[in-house]
Parts: sequence; C-alpha cells; structure tokens
Amino acid sequence: MHSLIQLSIAVLLLPLLSFVILIFFNKRLPRRGDFVGVGILGTTFALSFYIFWSVVVQAYDPAFRVAWDFTWIDFGNVPGVGPLEIRMGIVIDNLTAIMLAMVTLISFLVHLYSTGYMSGDPRYGRFFAFLGIFTFSMLGIVLADNLFAIYIFWELVGLSSYLLIGFYFEKDSAADAQKKAFLANRVGDIGMWLGILILYSQFHTFSYQEIFANLAAGKFGLGEAWLTAAGILLFMGCVGKSAQFPLHVWLPDAMEGPTPVSALIHAATMVAAGVYFVARIFVLLTADALHVIAFIGAVTAFMAATIAITQHDIKRVLAYSTVSQLGYMVLGLGVGAYSAALFHLVTHAFFKACLFLGSGAIIHAMHHEQDMRWMGGLRKPMPWTFATFTLATLALAGLPLTSGFMSKDAILAGAIGFAAAEGGGIYWIIPFLGFFSAMLTAFYMGRQIWLVFFGESRTHLKPADPHHHGHDAHGSHGHDDHHAGESHGVHEVAWNMRAPLVILAALSVFAVYSPDPLDGAKGWFLKMVQTPATVVGSPGNTAGHESSPLALHEGRLLAEAVPPAQHKAESDAHSEGVASEAASGVHAEAAGAAAHGEAHGHEFSDPRQAAIAHEAHAAHWPAIMISSVMVVLGISLAFVVYVFRIIDPEKTARSIRPLYLYSFNKWYWDEIYDATFIKGSVLISKILSWFDANIVDGIVNGVGAMTRRVGFATGGFDKYVVDGAVNFTAFLVNTSGGVLRKLQTGKVQTYVVLLLLAVIGYFIYYFTQLIY
Amino acid sequence: MLSLIVFLPILAGLVILAVPSSQKQIIRIVSLLAAIAQGVLAVLIWRGYDASMPGIIAAEGGAPEGSFQFIERLPWINLDLGGFGSLNIEYFLGVDGLSITMVILTALISIIGVLSSWPIQKQVKGYFILYNLLATAMMGCFVALDFFLFYVFWELMLLPMYFLIGIWGGPNREYAAIKFFLYTLFGSVFMLLVMIGLYFSVIDPLTGNHTFSLVAMASQENYIKDAILGPESMMWRYAAFIVLFVGFAIKVPMFPFHTWLPDAHVEAPTPISVILAGVLLKLGTYGMMRINFPLFPEVFQASLYAIGVLGAINIIYGAFCALAQQDLKKMVAYSSISHMGYVLLGLAAANSEGMVGALYQMFNHGTITSMLFLLVGVIYDRAHTRQIDKFGGLASYMPVYAAVVTIAWFASLGLPGLSGFISEAFVFVGAFSSETTRNIAIVSVLGIVFGAAYLLWSLQRMFLGKRKADAAYDLEVDADGHEHIHFHDWKGKLDLDARELVMLVPLAVIVIFLGIYPMPVLGMLTSSINKLVEVLSPVVMTALN
Repeated sequence: MHSLIQLSIAVLLLPLLSFVILIFFNKRLPRRGDFVGVGILGTTFALSFYIFWSVVVQAYDPAFRVAWDFTWIDFGNVPGVGPLEIRMGIVIDNLTAIMLAMVTLISFLVHLYSTGYMSGDPRYGRFFAFLGIFTFSMLGIVLADNLFAIYIFWELVGLSSYLLIGFYFEKDSAADAQKKAFLANRVGDIGMWLGILILYSQFHTFSYQEIFANLAAGKFGLGEAWLTAAGILLFMGCVGKSAQFPLHVWLPDAMEGPTPVSALIHAATMVAAGVYFVARIFVLLTADALHVIAFIGAVTAFMAATIAITQHDIKRVLAYSTVSQLGYMVLGLGVGAYSAALFHLVTHAFFKACLFLGSGAIIHAMHHEQDMRWMGGLRKPMPWTFATFTLATLALAGLPLTSGFMSKDAILAGAIGFAAAEGGGIYWIIPFLGFFSAMLTAFYMGRQIWLVFFGESRTHLKPADPHHHGHDAHGSHGHDDHHAGESHGVHEVAWNMRAPLVILAALSVFAVYSPDPLDGAKGWFLKMVQTPATVVGSPGNTAGHESSPLALHEGRLLAEAVPPAQHKAESDAHSEGVASEAASGVHAEAAGAAAHGEAHGHEFSDPRQAAIAHEAHAAHWPAIMISSVMVVLGISLAFVVYVFRIIDPEKTARSIRPLYLYSFNKWYWDEIYDATFIKGSVLISKILSWFDANIVDGIVNGVGAMTRRVGFATGGFDKYVVDGAVNFTAFLVNTSGGVLRKLQTGKVQTYVVLLLLAVIGYFIYYFTQLIY
Repeated sequence: MLSLIVFLPILAGLVILAVPSSQKQIIRIVSLLAAIAQGVLAVLIWRGYDASMPGIIAAEGGAPEGSFQFIERLPWINLDLGGFGSLNIEYFLGVDGLSITMVILTALISIIGVLSSWPIQKQVKGYFILYNLLATAMMGCFVALDFFLFYVFWELMLLPMYFLIGIWGGPNREYAAIKFFLYTLFGSVFMLLVMIGLYFSVIDPLTGNHTFSLVAMASQENYIKDAILGPESMMWRYAAFIVLFVGFAIKVPMFPFHTWLPDAHVEAPTPISVILAGVLLKLGTYGMMRINFPLFPEVFQASLYAIGVLGAINIIYGAFCALAQQDLKKMVAYSSISHMGYVLLGLAAANSEGMVGALYQMFNHGTITSMLFLLVGVIYDRAHTRQIDKFGGLASYMPVYAAVVTIAWFASLGLPGLSGFISEAFVFVGAFSSETTRNIAIVSVLGIVFGAAYLLWSLQRMFLGKRKADAAYDLEVDADGHEHIHFHDWKGKLDLDARELVMLVPLAVIVIFLGIYPMPVLGMLTSSINKLVEVLSPVVMTALN
C-alpha cells in the first residue's frame, strides 16, 4: 500500500474517531471534549497538508494518480456475469489532494472558531461530534474511487447536514429546515442513483476507472440517449447537494443551523461536493448532458443573485450568494471549463467560509441579531472582522488581486468560448447570465458591506417584536441575548474566532494561487488540475488519438482499469504505484505541454473539447474586461443607492413592487412546491389511505361478511331443511308410531282377529290375482 | 442439531407446563434460557456452515448431501393407499444459504421477543407456552425440507399467533386475531392441494418413490411427464403457481392481501408485533424462494413483470399509506408493507444482485423493523397512546430514546452505513439490470423519497420542536429553569431502562455493523442465491425441454 494511501485512510478515519469519542463521552470530558475535536482535526489537516504537499508541490505532475481498493462484497460466481465483486477503494490525484487540504483546513478552522461561537451551548459537545461525522463523510466523498462509495458518503453528508441544520431542534423552523434539506437532497439522490444504475447495468461495476474504460471502448449497449440520461441523472445528485435550480430551496433555510455549520457545510464543502462529483464523472458526460448542466448553472447563478439583492438577513444574502456561486461552478463544468470550475470551487470555499464566519462574528457580537437593517457602523468596534470580511467580499465580487477574480474570469472566459464554439445563438445566454450575475453579485455584496459596517448603528431602530429575534437565537441558549437598544456593547471577537477569519482572508489573495493576478493559468492550480479528455466524445475522437499526450495518458488509465474478472485474480488489497515506469515519459510530456500551453493547457483529441478550449483561451482578455466593467457597475450602483443615497432603495422598491416582491419572496419557489408537491403528496397519501381502509379492507370485510351471510344461509338451510327433514322423519315415525301403538293392545283376542283379517285379506288378494 | 434448535422452545414449554403459574419469574427465565440456547445453537450452525455448498437443489446424483447441510432425514409417516400407491412423509431437515439466514434471524428475534415479553402480567404461563410453541413452529418452517413437514409447521404457527393476539392484544384484538387467522388459513388451504398434487407428480431419484421432499421437487427432471403438475400440464402448473403465490403473498403481505397486517400489528402486544414483523412476514418470501419459484421456474419467468409491479405497488402504496397514518404503530406497519415490497421487486429481478438484495432485505427488515416496533412499544408503555401528534419535543427530555429512534428511523429509510441501505440498493441494482423490471425499478425509486418523508415527518412531530399543547405528557419547570417531563402513571425510568437497552443496543449494533460490512451475512447466502438464479433461469428450462 502506498504511504499516501495509508495517510489518507488515517485522514478519513480520524474525524470519525472524533465523532465516536465525542458522541459517547463528551459529558465526561473536560470542556465537553472540544479539544478532542480541535486536536484531531488539527492532526487531520496536518496529514492532509502533507499529502497535498507531496502530490501537488513535490510530484508536480498533472497525471499523478495513486489508487488502492479491496473487495467489499463478493457475489461469487454469478450466473450470466461470472465472478462479481463490489470493490471499495481510494484514489488520490491532484484534485483529491487539493480537496483534502481544503476540506480539512476549513473544518479545522471551523472547529477552532466554534470553541468561541458555541461556548455555553447546552449541547456543546454534541456539536463537535456532529462536525466530526460531517468531516468524515465529506472526506469520503473526496477519496472515493467508485460511484457506490460516493453515493454512500453522499447520503452520510446529507445525514450530517440534517443533524447540524436541526441542531436547535426545539425551534420549529430548524426542524422544518432540516427535514426540507434532507428530502430535497433525496429527490436529487434518486436521480443520481438511477444514473448509477444505468452505468452499473451495463458494466457490472461501480468503479470510475472501469466505467470510463468500458465507455471509451464503446461497450455501452443502451445507446446515446441513455448515456445522456445517465449523465443528467447523475447531475441531479449535484442539483440536490449543490442547491441548483430547481432544488435550491433547501439551502437558504439551512441557515437555521449554527453559523459555523453554515460556513463549513452550507458554503465551503458539502455544497461543493455536487460540483466535485460532476467533475469526477465529467468525462462520461455527453455534449447534450453538458448543455443541460450549463443552462441549469447559468439559471441558478442568475436567479439566486436576483434574490440576494433584496434579502435582509445577513446569512440569507450569503446563502443566496452561495447558490449563485455554485451556479457559476456548475456553469463552468457545463461549458467545459473544468479546471476553472474547480478552481472557483476552492477559492470560493475559502472566501465564503470567511464571509460566513465573519457574519457569525457579527451575529455573535450583536447578540444574535441577523437582520442587516438593524446593524450598521460595525467598522469601528470590529476592525478585524471588517477587514477580513471586506477582503473576502472583494474576492466574491471578483475584483482584481483576489482569488475570486481569477477563478470567476476563467469560468466566464470558458462560457464565452463555449458559446462561440457551439455556434452562438441561444448559447450566448449562458455567458450573458454569467456576466449579469457578476454585476448583481458586486451590487449585493456592496450593499451588505455598507449596511453592516458603515454608517451609524441602527440597533435602536428595530421594532420591539418578540418574534423577530434573529434566526440564530438558540432555543435554550446560554447567551444573554436579551440586550436591547443602545445599551449593548459590540466588541471584537476573541482570538479563537479571529484567527480563522485572518487565515481564510489570506487565502483569498491572488498570490496563493498564481504569480500573475490577471491570469490564473500561470498558477499551480490550473496547471495541476486539467480538463480530462472525454470518453464519450463526438465521432472523430479517435483521429489523432495517438498524438495527444493526454489521450495517451487516458490510454494508460484505460490500461490500468483491467476488466473485473481479471481484477479478482489479483490480491485482495492491491495498490497501484504512482506511475508505471513505462508511462513516465508520457507524464513528462504532459507536464511539459501543460507548462507551455497556459490556458490552452493541452490539446484535446475530441474536436468539440478542442474548439471550446481554443475559444476560451481567446476569450481570456475579453472576459476580464467585461467582468471588470460589470463589477465596477455593480459596486457603483451599490454606492449610488446606499452611500450617496441618490436612489432611495425603499422608493425604488415601491415603484417596482411586483419585481421587488418577486425577488424578496425568492421567486415564490417555496410556495409553488408547497402547493404542488407537498400538498399533492399529502393529498395522495390521504386518498390512498382512505382507499386502503375503506375499499381494500372493505372488500376483505365484505367477503368476510358475505361468508357469514352464506354461513347463516347454509345454517338456516341446515336448520330448517336438512335438520327439518331429519326432524320430519322423526315426527313421521313418532306419529305413525303413535297410531300404530294403538294396535298394540296386549289382548290375544285382538291379535287373533287381526291375524284372521290379514289372512282373509291375503286370500282376497290371491284370488283376485287368479281371476285376472 | 437442527432438531434441537427447532424443539428447544417446545421443551421449554413443557417445563413451563410443570411450573405453577404463580412463579412468573421462573417461567420467564426458562423461556429466556431456551431462547438463548437457541441463539447459541444458531451461532454454532452459522460457524459450522460451509458457505461454498449451494443448496437449493440436490447435489450431483440427486442426493441432498453435498448441497444442503446439517441434514436430518427419517421416515415419518408411511401409509399404504392401496391403488394410489403409498404416502411417504419424511422428517427431513436441512439448511442452505436461504434458510440459515432466516434461522439466525429467527433465533435473534426470539431472544428479543422474550425480553420484550418481560412486562406481560396477564396469564404469564399460558403466554409463554404459546410463545414457545410459536418459536418452534417458525424455526421449523425455515429448516423443513419436506413439504408436508413444512406445512405442518406452517399451520402450527397459526394457533399460538391467534391466541397471542386474541388474548394479550389491544381493545379490538379479537377482530384482528380472527382476521389474521382466516386470511392465513385461506392461503394455506390451497397450498395443501398443490402439495398433494406435487407429491403425485414428483419422484425421488434415489428411491424411485413419490416424495414430499422439496429438494427433489426443485429439480425439474424429477417430475413425471404426464402427471398433473408434470412439465406438460401447463395449465395446472400455472394454477398451482398462482395458488401458492397467493398463499405466500398473504403472509408477506402483498397488496391487495395486506390489510390484516395493520390491524394485527395495532392490536398485538409489542413482542408479538416484533415476532410478526421480524420473522413471520419473511416466511412469505422465504416460501416463494424455497417452494413457489424453484418448483415452477417457467411460470416464475413468465410472471416476473407482474411480481415486479406488485412489489412496486407495495413499495409506493405502503409508503403513501404510512404517510397518512396518525397511529405510530400503524405507520410502522405500513412501512413494513413498503419494505417487503423491495423484497418482491428484488425477486422479480431474477438475477443475483436482486435476489441477494431481496434475501438480505428480509434479514435487515427483520432487525430494523423489530427495533421500530420495540421503540413504539417503549413510548406506548409510558404514554398509553401512539398518536403521533400527542408528543413533540421528546428529544429534549428522552435523549437516549431519541438517539436510538434516530438510528432505527434512518435505518428504515435506507441511510447508507446502515444495513437496510445495502439490501435496498442491491434490489434496485438487480431490478434495473433486468430488462423486464427496469421500468418498474425506475418508478420504485420514488419509494426512497416517500420513505424518507413519512419517517422524517413522524420524527419531527414526535421528537423535535416543543411539547404540543395536548401532549400525552406533563411538563414542569423547576426553580433552576430545568424542564422535566413525566407521563401519567408511569413509575419506571423516563428514558430507556436497562431491559430496553439490552434489546435495542444489540440490534442497533447489528444494523450498523452489517451496514458497513455485510459479508458475514452475504457470504452465507451468495452461493445459494447464485444457484437459485441458475435453477430459475430460462436457459435451464429450455435445456430441459
């Protein structure tokens, strides 16, 4: 077993250990065992960072890949298939290594932060336990080498999310939100599951590599439409988990969870799992499936941005901004800007975690006030929070010198390239929505910064409404959250909450990722994470297959993916080396090509992929210009409205009231779903239940009753006819006996007379017979 | 070995007969010891079981040895019927992958059932005698390899079940008991006819006589060509298949023969619900896999679509009905119907993945649903009501109970990492891989969503949020601001007590362990399932014709 594999197993299991220790023993440990969680996650991060360093920095090879698997379920010799095993395993490549480091770092920082934010909570220890099981599940998604494993961890992440959203389960809104999140995710999951089933039914394996190899070999027997369907169905999992339209409705409600949870799960990691998953299966997505993905992403990015501009709750704005940014990532994958989308995933994770933790600091300092209308002027009492929040905001808005600028532009360049390569027309909608959303993003983030940090404190303006006590108000919370008016003092948060903010803000600076602030392609990320060649490409794919380095690389992967039957013959737990000697030359070539090609990266054998890559490269500078203009427009608009107050937001809202309400009410999706699916399901269940109790069971009881009637009837027949006949016979015998008895007089004379009469009678009969 | 595991409970019953009825504790302990001894025997059988022997049909040459294990075979009843030949009934026991899975489950659930019967105070002696009779009958059904013997055990189950529901049940117990009794009897009467027909159609290749041996019946070459159920009388074979199927489907229970189940569950005392859901329902699908399908493989192949559709109806219809229930126990009963639908769907797939999923689902449904019914019993003991809306906020006051409920509920909704997921997953994998049932599988995945819906909704209404105004418990706030609750006339511990934990924790551990590493169970059954699939495959049938 490769040492990195051993380390990654430790990385995977350590957070689980934290969960087990804390769920059972938190009450017996000092400080409810928070140091266990923080300590274990610190160790996990250290190990992950070592993996990251070994893979991304030291190996510095875009084709790096280590894998290990073992037999999980052995089906034996299955008729019609042959020996069949379900294998579980781990794969580490550049993307995995980056994700490992990112997830464990943010998880560690959130653990640390929670020691401040959650202190005094009656379920303090349990909170860290839940964070542990979440981290475990998330790392499982990252490390899994097959569809079955990712589905398992996928749902476990759903469970952790369920537990953490409903952490304050006494509140009905939290209990509703957790249920909604789980069910919305399940809807997505059944699509994902069907997608997995389509692929399994063809190849009898769940392994990515084996599925890709089989697809590349053209062994998919159901035809193109089913393959596209498989891609779209698998993508449905992402629609659920990454809160894409039309299943996005759960994410804003998920803000009912404690704010550190929002930062870790509902901003940085779990919601990005959907994007990560689509990246993992990227090579099997057909062009049609990719188009669907691109449109869903664009619509999501746009819709969420339009909703974010009117929300009052500081966390809801961030939640919709998360939905919107996830839309960008999905859009990026859909248009084929694979590396850009993943780049955005990572940069977004850091700056969005920073924003959420910053908002948590504000909420904490404001005694659980979440409504931005009653904030203001926090710049002075909370300078650290202000600085870090602002830096992360700039990254989110996509201003130059930030990480978000590079990643978002790479996606938008990809979108332009896609539209150009696909022949324009309707496809221009995608970059258009992308750029427009960039402007909206700049606007709502400018609005947020201004409302929260600038101006004067508006705490005293808040109407005294006992029900409107902030969404994070804990049900049975230890905090004294009953301050009102100006009497409360707002202070900067303590070091354990400040340090995560600073680290995350630092990771939002361009220099972490690329030496050139205007071109992410010069940085390590885009060099190490490169768009893989499709295995379901358009015809002509095979032409020039040999000449392309990546195609060769793909070929090596195919060679690795031996058919299942052969697999079994190998040892139970075998480990594949970093790269076989034979292939090392290819690697060097691939790395060289990557170093040369910049945004071009490498050449694709698939003409569609090649065209998009080419156009995207050409669109790099236009994308930067347009998006910069959009961002400046957005920020200026925010200034015009909220700083100079040239436009009064309230008046504007009144004048375009229908539009405002449409945005404020989140496009009415909740109402629509409630009226259709939820009410519909409840209605169907009531109808069927009535049907069951009255019709199905009614028939049963009816048959029972009828049998009884028949029984009574036969009983009556028995009593009156059969038994009657018997009784009648008895009666006859009785009566005739009574009559005949009279003859039995006991007198000999009578008998003699009777005998005589009988003899006479006989003679009369005898003679009449003779006569005739 | 098998005789011992079958008849141990009856021996215990005989011992109890000798104990004066005032000695309740001794009666309970004798029953518990018998159940534990049964469990130990089950473990010994499990350890001694050779998973490479497939079972299902006889080994090469027609002898069950070498295919089945732990065989015990004695002539039992030999009657000379004159012109009809002779009636040879054997005492024939043995296990293969199908039955050993169920033997282990039965032994496990029997122990849980005894523990769960501890608080029963009414006529303890009579109760435990009947309980032990039931335990013997169940175990006998799973190990019998002679159809007649199987039938005897099958009918033997009815009697104790009838009285256990009818005497120790809830207010409407007599209606429920008679419904259960008549429904099952209705199914088994026809089974008797088919059994006799089969007897005169099959020849044991080793003796040359007619036989009730299920092992001989499972091989189509043992059928007499022109017999009533021989290969040429298709009409009678179809009729026999359908009659048997209905008989077993009633037990599953399959729509539309399912309505006895919610009534029986609602009225039955907790331990009997546990036995009913944990073991008895499996007899239906076990009977299909052991008798119904392998004896009539060509009819089975022709009925796959219908069986699949019925499975899908069970899954979705059961889930919708569960969603509408107000009584928690009724909801769990409908969830049973829904989950047994997965078994039917897996069987209809007629491939190894589907059938392994189906058999594994039978095992997992046994453990998970037992947990569900035990947990319903826990709250019913305390509150004397099962109305879902009469609670609210229990998670704050009964954290251990809430935690176990969460595990059980999530196991039931098929959360990965818990055993139910793996079986449901492979049912879907199998059903989707088969072209016949692919569309049915696509529709049935809706069950995943609605299953989650009713479980999460009930979880929320009972455990989350705050106490409802008309809740079945009282809330007091002491001087320190701590909240306490108590139920009327409940003197015991508020949260789970030791006995309840002893029942629930092992089940939870099994559910979690088998969800992470299913091979201890799957390893036993895969070779049998592969054999079964082979026996049922159309290839074998055409080769015979």
